[in-house]
Parts: sequence; C-alpha cells; structure tokens
Amino acid sequence: MRPVLGIAGYVLREAASRKFILAFMVGITLVLAVVAVSLRLEVIDGALAASRLFGKELRGNIQSIDVALRPVYQAAAFIVFYGGILFGIVACSDFAPGLMSPGRIEHLLALPIQRWHLLAGTFLGVMTLALGGTLYGTTGLVLIFGVKAGYWTVGPLVAGLMACVGFAAVYAVMLTTATLVRSAALCAASGFAFMVGGIIAGHRQDISTFFEEGLSRSAFLAVTLVLPRLSALAEAAGDIASSTPLEVRSLGTLLLGVFVFGLGALAVGFWRFEGKDY
Amino acid sequence: MEKRQKRRVWLVMAALLFVVAALLMFLGQGEEKGPAALEVDFPRRMRAPDRERAERRRTQVLPTVAPTDSGTAAEPSRPRDPLLAALPRGPGKTAVIIEANALRHSPIGGLLLDCLMRDGGKQLEEFRQKSGVDPLQDLDRLVVTDEGMMLSGNFENARFKDLLGERVSANYGEGARVYEAGESSVTNPDGTTVKRRDTSAIATWNNQLLVVGKSPDEVKAAIDRVEGRGPDEPPAISESSTYGEMYGVLSVEMIARLFPPEQAALAQRLRDVAQNVELHLDASSDVALVAEVKGPSADDVTDLGKSLGAALSLARIKAQAGEDKDLAQLLDFAKVKPDGDSFTLEMAVPLAVIQERLAFCREERRAAEGGRAPETGTQAGVEQAPAPAR
Repeated sequence: MRPVLGIAGYVLREAASRKFILAFMVGITLVLAVVAVSLRLEVIDGALAASRLFGKELRGNIQSIDVALRPVYQAAAFIVFYGGILFGIVACSDFAPGLMSPGRIEHLLALPIQRWHLLAGTFLGVMTLALGGTLYGTTGLVLIFGVKAGYWTVGPLVAGLMACVGFAAVYAVMLTTATLVRSAALCAASGFAFMVGGIIAGHRQDISTFFEEGLSRSAFLAVTLVLPRLSALAEAAGDIASSTPLEVRSLGTLLLGVFVFGLGALAVGFWRFEGKDY
Repeated sequence: MEKRQKRRVWLVMAALLFVVAALLMFLGQGEEKGPAALEVDFPRRMRAPDRERAERRRTQVLPTVAPTDSGTAAEPSRPRDPLLAALPRGPGKTAVIIEANALRHSPIGGLLLDCLMRDGGKQLEEFRQKSGVDPLQDLDRLVVTDEGMMLSGNFENARFKDLLGERVSANYGEGARVYEAGESSVTNPDGTTVKRRDTSAIATWNNQLLVVGKSPDEVKAAIDRVEGRGPDEPPAISESSTYGEMYGVLSVEMIARLFPPEQAALAQRLRDVAQNVELHLDASSDVALVAEVKGPSADDVTDLGKSLGAALSLARIKAQAGEDKDLAQLLDFAKVKPDGDSFTLEMAVPLAVIQERLAFCREERRAAEGGRAPETGTQAGVEQAPAPAR
C-alpha cells in the first residue's frame, strides 16, 4: 500500500505546483466569500421572510427555510456533480500522460514498485484532490447557509461525496485511456464521452423508447447497461442535498455499482499497463 | 509466461467487475420509474374549463332599455350569470360560492358524500321526497353571504308550497316569488301560547335561484339585483374570479374569527391591515387553497405576510417534531407570495391524507347500507351540471 500512497503524494505535489488547480481553489474561495458577504437572509421563526443579494431584494416566497433552500441546494448539488466532473476531466487529463511521458516513466518504472501501483497511486492522488475540492466547496456552502439561515444539513456534503464517486468512474476510464494513448486531449475526450454516456445511461429507459423495438433497442439497452449511471446518481445527489425523497430504488447499491465500474475500468488499465513496453 | 498469466488475471477481474457493476447499477436504480414527486396544482387563474363553465352560465339577458330622447337606440345588454348578479355589491362583503355539483363529482366530493350518507342515505331520500329536489342532481351552486344563502340549479320539480306551507307568498318583480314567514303560535310548557314572528324570508327566481335571507327586504334586494334594479356597483365576485370548486371574498372579520385563540395577535393584525380576502379552493384532485389578502398599506401587508409565513413555518416545525407527518406534509406546500399591497397564501392537503382521514365514513355508510358497496354516482372528477330550468 505504501508505494501507492507514495505515488498519490507525488501526484498531489504535482497538482499543488499547477497554477490551474490553485486558481480553482481560489475561485471556489472567492465564490463562497462573495456569497457570504453579499447574501442577506431574513429568517423569522424558521421561515425565510426576505433575501437580499448585493443589497437588492430578491422576490421570493415566504416559506419554511428548509423548503425555500431546497432549490438552492439542489442546484448546488448539480453544479458540484457535473461541474466538478467537467473540471476534473479538464484539470486532471494530463496527469497520467505526463507521468507516462518519456524520461519520467523510465524513472518511475526503475523504482521498486509494481506497475499497477503506479496507476493506482495516480488514481488515488487525483481522487484525493477531487475529494478535497468537493468537501471544501460544499462545507463552505453548508457553513454559509447554516450561519445565515440557522438551518444545518449534511445533504450537500453527502451529495459532494456522491459526485466524487461519479468522477472516480470517469477518471478510471481516463487513466485507462492514458495507457493506450499518451495524449491528454484523448484522455479528456474519453472522460467526456463516458460522462455523456453516463448521463444517457441514467435515462436509458426513457431514451430507449426512441429506438424501434427489436435489435436497435436491445443493443442500446445492452450498451447502456454497463455504463455508469451518472445522471441517476446526480439526481439522487440533488434529492439528498435538498432533503427530498429519493427516486432510485437503492442508493447504496447504485453508488457501489458506479464505483465498481470504476474499479473495472482501472483493472483494464492495469492489464494494459502491465504488458506495455517502455 | 507467468507475467502473461498475471496480466490475464487483471482482464478477468475487469470483466467480472463490469458484470458486477452492471448488476448493481441495474438493481440500484431500478428499471421502473419511482413515484413522482408530489405536486399540487394551485388555482391561481381561470383555466379553459372554468372559462367555458362561466360562458355556459351567462343565460340571463336583461330587457333592452327603450331608445333615449335623442333617438339613439340603447345597446343590447350582454348575457350574464344571474347568480353572480344576485351577489351583494360593494367592498367588505362576504360571498363564497361552493360549486356543489363540481365538488360532488370530485374525488373529495365522493368522500364527503360518504360522510353525509352514513345513515345509508335515509335522510337524503326523505328530503328528496318531501321537497321534490334531489340535492345530488338538481343543485349546481351554493352561495354563503353575510345576508344569508343562495342556491342555484334546477328547481322545476321543487314543491315550495308544500315545503313553505305556513308562509305568505307573493309574486315579486318579473320572475320571482317571495315567501315571508307569518306569525305562528307556540305553546309553552306551562300551557300558555305566545305568538312569534319569524323574520326570515325565502325567494325563488325562475326555478333557477333560491334566495334565503334574514328579512323579506334582503331577499327582495337580491331579486332586484338579478333583474337589473340593483345598484350599479360590480358584484362581490367578478366573473373572472369564478375558478376552483369554492371561491369568493370573505370579510376580514370572518377570517380573523377562524384563527385559533393562541394566534389572537395575528388575527388582530389581520383585522388592522387587510381589507378583504379572496379565496379559491381547487378539489379536482388534491385540495389546494389560494387566498389573496389585500390592504391599503404595502409595508403593513408585507409584514403581515411575513408573520403569517412564520406562523406556518412554526406549525410545520411543531408537526415534524410531534411526528405528525400528515400535517408536516400539508404544510410543506404552505407559502406566502408577497406582491406589493397584497400577498397570496397557498396551502394544500394531499388527497391521500383526506382519504385516510375520512375512511371511516365509507365504512359506516357501507355498514348502514348492509354491506353493499356505496354508489359513487358518476365518474369522479367529471362535473355534471343539472339540466337548466326552463
């Protein structure tokens, strides 16, 4: 396990040196700071009576604070989920190709570690990065609304963690792509393609009705059966963030399924990496 | 060779993981759609069926006034709804219309009917035979006002003379008959008799309207309004506000009386701030209520809206803490929408909650009817207006 952690630390140090990632963290901080400073909420007996953004009164309903904040938390969950995955695809696409670049890969392979440790460490490092960013953003959001409205919920935090599971599946595919072609652009493209596929897979039953009954519909259903159901996970994250009833049958099973898909994709990467000549 | 075998393990493991993942995701998401989120359709404006209904009710055409001295012919008056014309005029009046026929054919109407007929419908049948009126078929609308009550529908078969035997009746206006109560002798327990005079009066108009008032003057005033002899002010409820299964305007005093004693301060604020309250209740599926409160001062009305919103929020928190899930669910939909010098209060009761609460009525009715399944009449939710009287 130590070699894996070592590589993860190496990836994190690499990320810390990148201005892009730092700019992202500063960006999250700024957004949270602006929301904290500019948003004023008037709460009377647990009801959101008025809200002001940049001193301008927002027209809204007077209702229980948790009900009023539902759309805010739901929107935040979707932004964290899809925005986080998109940012992760762009920001992390060249980690693996960079690690496998000529000169560096020879140095890494010379270390007393197994090849799969290298990939697993990269995956762990990137996931730590994603988890840190998500927790930082969602905790900030929960703290701001908790202090301003007096309504505390861990819903957005849980939704953020679910977004990380979704990103794990996508990044595993990107990492495996890097073992096939050493290109950051293609890694990002594969991640993006799987993200779109994951959105489709979450709505496979609805979309399947657009296919004619028979071979085409069966083929569509067969392909989307294996893809990670990202949109279903995103909607469940939205439901959890807004404390509304879940639409999925079993969230735990779905989460586990998406994560296991990521492990499967990673196993393909291990298989490919083990047999590659550098 | 060993390295190749080791590699193959990863591939086999990947295949296995993909199969397990597909299975887990299939089971986790479920192929059937989950129950849709509970949504309530609030009556916020007139919809196409409401407009059609209002149009169908414009059956009364007032006679055209004779040409003026200048020789210009007077414009023919537009057809209008006689019941709306009969409503009291001027601000501060109470007039609530209950669409009895539409309500009776709504899901909630079926439940209420079960409660009304818990005796197996004996009382209803008795009334039907005595009066010649079948409330379930002949009654269209029921209006409650400050002055009394009005009923509209088809009263062609009504036996008013049998029903109101002791009353003195006389024709009034063009199509009305007013029944005034005369003096009646009442024997006391000690054997003495006293004469009492009941001041209430009833009027019928063209077998379509039945007006019940506190005095003959009040019912005559209502008939005057129907026949175009009333004041020129608009009626308490305009045609554009005739949507929902129950609607109307309520005086602030009446609304304030509905508040529980612990909300006396809020009731007093309502009296101080609001001018009138317009109410719309939709019972076509769930029961949804929209009340618009207006007042002269925008700031005071906004503050009142905030207090009301806070009271509802507090009630919801109490319901959640007391594990009264039904009430908490009902208050989930409660909200106040401020809009300058008015605000709208929205509340809803999911049909399932009412069904559960009124289930005992159906059981009692079934027991009274000897185990027969209660007749639900026509299909729920389909309004069947009574045939208009000719």
